[in-house]
Amino acid sequence: MNRFVLSTGAVITAALVAVLMSGLGRDPKHIDSPLLGNAAPHFVLKSIGSAESIDIAKFRGKPVVLNFWATWCAPCWEEHPVLNETARAHPEVQFLGVVFQDEEAKIQDFLRRRGSAYPTVIDEGGRTAIAYGVGGVPETFILDANGTIVVKHDGPVSQQQLQAYLAEVRK
Amino acid sequence: MILALILLLLDAPQSTPLQGPALDQRTQEVASGLRCPVCQGLSIADSPSEMAVNMKAEVRSMLAKGYTREQIETYFIRSYGEFVLLEPKFEGVNALVWILPVAALLLGAFAVWRVLRKLSAAPQPKPRVSADDPDLARVRELVKGATS
Amino acid sequence: MITTAALGRLLILGALLVSTAGAFLGFASGAKRSEEGLRWSRRLAYAFGALMLLATLVMEHALLRHDFSVSYVAHVGSRDVPVWVTIVSLWSSLEGSILFWGLVLGLYIAAATRFTSRGNEEAMPYAIGTWLACGSFFSFLIAGPANPFLTISPAPLDGPGPNPLLQNHVLMVAHPPLLYLGYVGMTIPFGFGVAALLRGKIGPTLVRAMRNSLLLSWIFLSIAIMLGGWWAYEVLGWGGYWAWDPVENASLLPWLTATAALHSAMVMQRRGVLKGWTLTLVLSSFLLTVLGTFMTRSGVFNSVHSFTQSAIGPTILVFLAAVLIGSVTLLALRIDTLESEGRIDAPVSREGTFLLNNLLLVLFTFTVLVGTVFPLVVEAVNGKQMSVGRPYFDSMVVPMGVALLFLLGIGPALPWGRTSHNEIRRALLPPLIGGIALLILGVIFGARNPWTIVTLFAGGYALQVTLVQLAKLRHSRRSVGAYVIHLGVAIAVVAIAISSTMRTQREVVLQQGQSTTIGVYTVTFTGTEERSEPHRTSSIARIAVTKDGRTVTTLEPRMNQYEMMREPIGTPDVHSTIGGDLYISIASLEANRAGLLLIVTPLVSWIWIAVLLMAAGGFIALVPRTVIPSVARDLGGRRAMHVPRTPPAQVPRAARDDMGVA
Repeated sequence: MNRFVLSTGAVITAALVAVLMSGLGRDPKHIDSPLLGNAAPHFVLKSIGSAESIDIAKFRGKPVVLNFWATWCAPCWEEHPVLNETARAHPEVQFLGVVFQDEEAKIQDFLRRRGSAYPTVIDEGGRTAIAYGVGGVPETFILDANGTIVVKHDGPVSQQQLQAYLAEVRK
Repeated sequence: MILALILLLLDAPQSTPLQGPALDQRTQEVASGLRCPVCQGLSIADSPSEMAVNMKAEVRSMLAKGYTREQIETYFIRSYGEFVLLEPKFEGVNALVWILPVAALLLGAFAVWRVLRKLSAAPQPKPRVSADDPDLARVRELVKGATS
Repeated sequence: MITTAALGRLLILGALLVSTAGAFLGFASGAKRSEEGLRWSRRLAYAFGALMLLATLVMEHALLRHDFSVSYVAHVGSRDVPVWVTIVSLWSSLEGSILFWGLVLGLYIAAATRFTSRGNEEAMPYAIGTWLACGSFFSFLIAGPANPFLTISPAPLDGPGPNPLLQNHVLMVAHPPLLYLGYVGMTIPFGFGVAALLRGKIGPTLVRAMRNSLLLSWIFLSIAIMLGGWWAYEVLGWGGYWAWDPVENASLLPWLTATAALHSAMVMQRRGVLKGWTLTLVLSSFLLTVLGTFMTRSGVFNSVHSFTQSAIGPTILVFLAAVLIGSVTLLALRIDTLESEGRIDAPVSREGTFLLNNLLLVLFTFTVLVGTVFPLVVEAVNGKQMSVGRPYFDSMVVPMGVALLFLLGIGPALPWGRTSHNEIRRALLPPLIGGIALLILGVIFGARNPWTIVTLFAGGYALQVTLVQLAKLRHSRRSVGAYVIHLGVAIAVVAIAISSTMRTQREVVLQQGQSTTIGVYTVTFTGTEERSEPHRTSSIARIAVTKDGRTVTTLEPRMNQYEMMREPIGTPDVHSTIGGDLYISIASLEANRAGLLLIVTPLVSWIWIAVLLMAAGGFIALVPRTVIPSVARDLGGRRAMHVPRTPPAQVPRAARDDMGVA
C-alpha cells in the first residue's frame, strides 16, 4: 500500500467531491445582491404618459415596492395583476414600476389595456437598472421608510411572497 | 442626473477625461474585465445583449468623465458584487486562485527533480535478451546491412 | 403492439442487464483466469453494443416520424425544422445526448473487444469488466434519471424544436459526435489501465493497446475541441473562439492529461520507468471525462452549455466519487508492484524533456481545474459570489503554453540517453536560426506584443527542429506521425498568439450606402433583406466588401428571430482567407441603418488547419508499425524484438534513434 498515493488521492477526491456537492442545489445564474441593507441608489426618471419626472427621494417616509419589468417579459404579465391588487389594498406603501430596454409606446399600450394602480417610469439606457444591479426582469426591490433596500426578489413575485415582504418591512 | 447619481456613489473622477480612439481603446480594456450579468461568462465588451451594451455605454461615459478603472469597477461591484469582475482580486480567499498554480509549479518542479535523481541512481537494466542470443546477432547484422 | 417508447425502454433495460452481468463476469473471469468466462464476457460486450445501437435507432426513428408520444421527441422535435436538424436533435438536448453517449460507448466497447483481444487474453477480462461497469452506469442513467423514452399521453401535436442556437450552423452536426468519440473513447484506455493495475504488470501488447486507444481518442478530442472553438467563432458573434467557459474547460482537461500520458508512455516503453505515473495519467484522463460530463450536465456551472439541474447531476457525482475512490485505491495498492525496469541516464536528454512536458501539462490541467471550480469553493467557504474569467486564464496559461512550445523544440532536438556537452550544443544551437527568422518575420508584419514575439521565437525554433526530423525519418511511421502532430501544434500555438494579439476591431454605425474601412478592406452597407423560413425569420444585412477597389465578396450577417425566443440571435458572416478573416456581426439593424462589429483576425484559419494536421499525424502514427521486412521474414514472423543498447561502434546512431523511437 503506497501511502503517498493513498493520502494524496484521498485529499483530492474529498476536496473535489465536497466542492461539487456544494454546488448542487444552488442556481449558478442567481446573483446575490450586495445592495441589501444599503441605501437605495437615487434616481429621477421620466414618468410614462406624462412629461413629468418622478424622484425616488420623494417617497422617503413610506415603504417602497420598486418593480423592474418590461412589456416583452412573459413572467412580468403574470406578476402585474398581483402588484396592482396589492397596491390598491395598501395605499400606505408606495409602488413604482421601472421599465427598461423597452419603448414608451408599448408601455403605454400595456398599461392602458391592463390597468395601472401606481406610477411607472422609463429607464432609458438602463442606467438605473445597472445601479440597482438588475440582471433580468422581473426583479422587485422592497425599500423601508428610510430608503434602505431590505428585499431583492428575482423573478415574478406572488401574492403570498409580497404580503410576507410587506409585513417584514413594516416592522 | 446620471452624473448626480454617480457622484453620489463615488468620489470625484481621479484621472483625466478621455476622448476619441484613446477612449475607444480604454473602454474596450475596462469592459473586457467586467462580466455581463445576464450572459454565461462573457465580458460586457464581447456580449451582444442589451444589458451588456448599456453597461459598456456606462463605462464609456465614465471614462469620458475621467474616472479611473478602479473607480468604475468599484461602481459596478456596488451594484452587482465581486461577481462582476472577471479577474479575481488578489485579496482574502481570492488570492488562492493566484497562489495555488504557482505553488503547484514549485512542488511539481521539486518532484521532477526528485524523480530524475532517483531514476538516474537506479542500476543499469538487465538486457531482456542475453548477449549470446543467435537471433540478436542476426538482427545486428541485418540492421547494419539495412542502414549502411 | 409495443409502443416506441416502451420498446426503447426495454432495449435500455436490456443493455443495463447485459452490462451489469458482463461487468461482474469480466472481473470474475480475470481473477479466475477463465477462458470460458472471457468468451462470455466478450459476447456480453457485443450484446451491449448491439442493444445500444438498436435503442438509438429506435429514437432516431421516433424523431423522424415525429412521434411526440416519446418524451424526448416531444421535448426537441418539431414539424417545422429541416430534416437534418431533426436527425441531429438526437444529441441536441440532455437526455438524448446521454443516450448518444451510451451508443458511442457501446460501439467502442464492441470494437475494442473485437480488435484488441489478441495477445491480451489475460488482461481482457478485467478490461471488459471495467468497460461494462461504465456501460452499466450509463445504462442506469438512461433508464432512470435521464430517460428519453418516457411515454407522453396524450401525445402533443407538435414540439418546440431544438435550441435555435444549435440550428444556426452546420458545424453543430460534427462537434458533439466527435467530442463523444474523444471523450467516451477515454474509457477504453482506462479499462486497460485498470487491467494492468489489477494484474500488477503491463506487457508490450497491453501497452500498445492502451497507447493506440488513447491516441485514437486524443485525435477525436483534438478535432472536437477545435470544432467547438470554430463553431463559437462562427456562431456566437463576439469574434473569439475560446472563452474559458466551464464546459470548454471540461473538454480541455482530459486532452491535456492524455497528451501527457502519450509522452509518458514513450518513456515507459523505452526505459521501463514511470509505469505507475503513466497509468495515473491514463486513469486521470477518464476521470476528467466523468468530471467533465458532470460539469456540463449538472447545472452547477454557469455556462453557455448549461442544462437545468435535475437528478442527473447527483447521479453522475456519485459515479465520479465511486470511480475516484476505486482508482485511488487501486493505484495505492498496486503501484508498487509495477517494477521499474530501467533508469534515466541523464536529465538533459529527451527523457528529461518528457518529464518537463508532463510537469507543464499537469500544471496546466491543475490551473484550469482550479480556476473553473474556484467560484464554487469561495461560495462554499464565505458565501460570496465571484468570477474567474478569461483574463485570469489567459494570464496563467500563456506562459505555460510558451514553455511547452519551447519544449516542443528542445525535446526532439535532444537525443535519448546520456549525451556529451558537444552533442547537446550541436543539437540545440542550429534551430536558433529558425527561431530568430520567424521572430523577425513577425516583427516585420507588425507583431509588438512581448508574449507574441517570444512565441514566434519558440515557434520558429520548434518548426525547424520538427521539419529537420521529418526530413530525416524514413521508416518509422509512428515517428512521422508524431512529428506531424508536433508540426500542427507549433503552427496552432503561433496562430493562436497572432490571431489574439494582432486583431483589429471596430464598432460602426453605417447608413445605407455608407462605407468604412477596416484593415485592408472597405465595407459598404448596401441594404437589408428579410428571409422567412418555417422556423425562423431572418433579417440580413448585405455588406459589400472590397479590397484595393476590387470586389472581394458580399457578407451577409443575420439576425434570426426564432418563434420561441424574445431576443433575436445574431449570426455573423466571415470571409476567410489564408492570411486572415474579415468577420462582421450585427449589433443593431434597421431598414437603412446597421450597427456593425467589424473584426480582422490574422491567421485564424491556420488554427483549424493546424489541428487537422495534428489529427492527420495521429492517424499516421496509428498505422501498425512494420518491422524491417527482412528481419521479420528471417525470424519466422515473430514480433519485433527490443534490441538493447549496443555500443555505438556496432550500430550507427541514426539507426539507434529510429528503432523504437516512439
